[in-house]
Amino acid sequence: MSAAVLPAPASTTRTREGRSDLRTYNPLVKILGVVPVMLYVVTTRDVLTPALIGAAAFAVLAAMGRVRPTVLAGVALTAAALVAVMTLSFGLLTDPAAVTGSTLIASIGPVQVWSGALATGLATAVRTVALLMLVLLGGLTTTGADLVRAMTQQLHLPYRIGYAALAAVRFVPRFGHELEVIRGAHRVRGVALSRGPLGAVRRRAGYVVPLLAGGIRHGERVSLAMESRGFGAHPTRTERVRVPFGPRDVVLLLALWGGAAACAALATLL
Amino acid sequence: MQSVTTRYLMTCAAIGAAVGVLLVPANFVSAPLAAAAPLAYAPLVGLWMIGPVLALALIRRPGAAVLTTFVAGVVSSASPVGAWSIVTCLMAGVAVELAFLVTRYRVWRAWLFYLDAAVFGAAYVASGWAAFDMAAMAPGVLAAFVVLMMGSFVVFTWLGLLLARQLAQAGVARGLAPSGPARAREVGPEPAR
Repeated sequence: MSAAVLPAPASTTRTREGRSDLRTYNPLVKILGVVPVMLYVVTTRDVLTPALIGAAAFAVLAAMGRVRPTVLAGVALTAAALVAVMTLSFGLLTDPAAVTGSTLIASIGPVQVWSGALATGLATAVRTVALLMLVLLGGLTTTGADLVRAMTQQLHLPYRIGYAALAAVRFVPRFGHELEVIRGAHRVRGVALSRGPLGAVRRRAGYVVPLLAGGIRHGERVSLAMESRGFGAHPTRTERVRVPFGPRDVVLLLALWGGAAACAALATLL
Repeated sequence: MQSVTTRYLMTCAAIGAAVGVLLVPANFVSAPLAAAAPLAYAPLVGLWMIGPVLALALIRRPGAAVLTTFVAGVVSSASPVGAWSIVTCLMAGVAVELAFLVTRYRVWRAWLFYLDAAVFGAAYVASGWAAFDMAAMAPGVLAAFVVLMMGSFVVFTWLGLLLARQLAQAGVARGLAPSGPARAREVGPEPAR
């Protein structure tokens, strides 16, 4: 095979124009670095702190995420809808006995809406939206495969485990093909021919075990093929896609924590 | 690491891929459902238990639950939460694995799977307690919420064990689990008939 056929060794782009792109940062910072902030958000009970943190996370996503405007608008709309729906749904679930000091806003049949219950619902809603924003910050800019690569390259996850997971992604289209074969085989043999919705459920349930068995047997065949090609023969291996961890990743991590601390301090001051 | 065979790795990977496909729609549905109707979301939470329970019951080797959920997380990362699905899935895998780690991988009976589901369910309810501010909920709603969630974990554990038994009967993964005559009545692979 000539060298021209092989694509150049890939790396997450770190060109000058991609400098502020969240996608070029290490996945470990974007996913695991946010966890302390999320834990802090879960412990808050007021409205202002999670609102500030959620807004800040959305601003970072908008400025550095390089996500399409339609996706960004969708995120904003979903967040607004979530706050509205959750304020009401969790407000209705709140114990009226706990908010006796508040006023009754509306009463529809047996359902009573108290202002104090709505306030509790609003706090829960804003907290959830803040968590969602922190999740989307890394989620929209990181693929699962990149996180696996970062785990093998920086966290020293054994590469055999990492590559087994990456290989499994290729199993998915196979499941679709196998499902067609099993469906055909069941139809030819007249397995579970009963009609109606119950029949459909019974028919689908019959696909589960053959599908899983086929998948596992395929996995066993793939493992033989991998071993015959020398997979796992050496303690280390070369990587086609590099996921670097540099000073700028440390800067981003410190900025995330500093930003969250600033939001918390601002909330206590206001 | 060298003691782990590639066959074991890829068997876990295959189970994880199958479960991961199930979890992609669950990832899309669970967030809006949890927000709009928390009581409708509660019965779904056990879905994350099928993979690790099935893998441990079928393969009966250390690490099978964690490995399976890791792969399931990678496969189900095709959703807005992206790579976060790996973290969520791994939490379920570690929870299932813990009970067997504590018993040093010597007990494989069904009761341990159910005990594990109950303990993990309680821990999950406790974490939801903080996030959803459940202490402020009406007592009736709270009881329904806890019962639905715990029931979901137990039912999906039962389903995982059932699938493992049926797969073992089909002869899948035979020779992978360490087997002996004394284990014939336990969960998981039965000796060849």
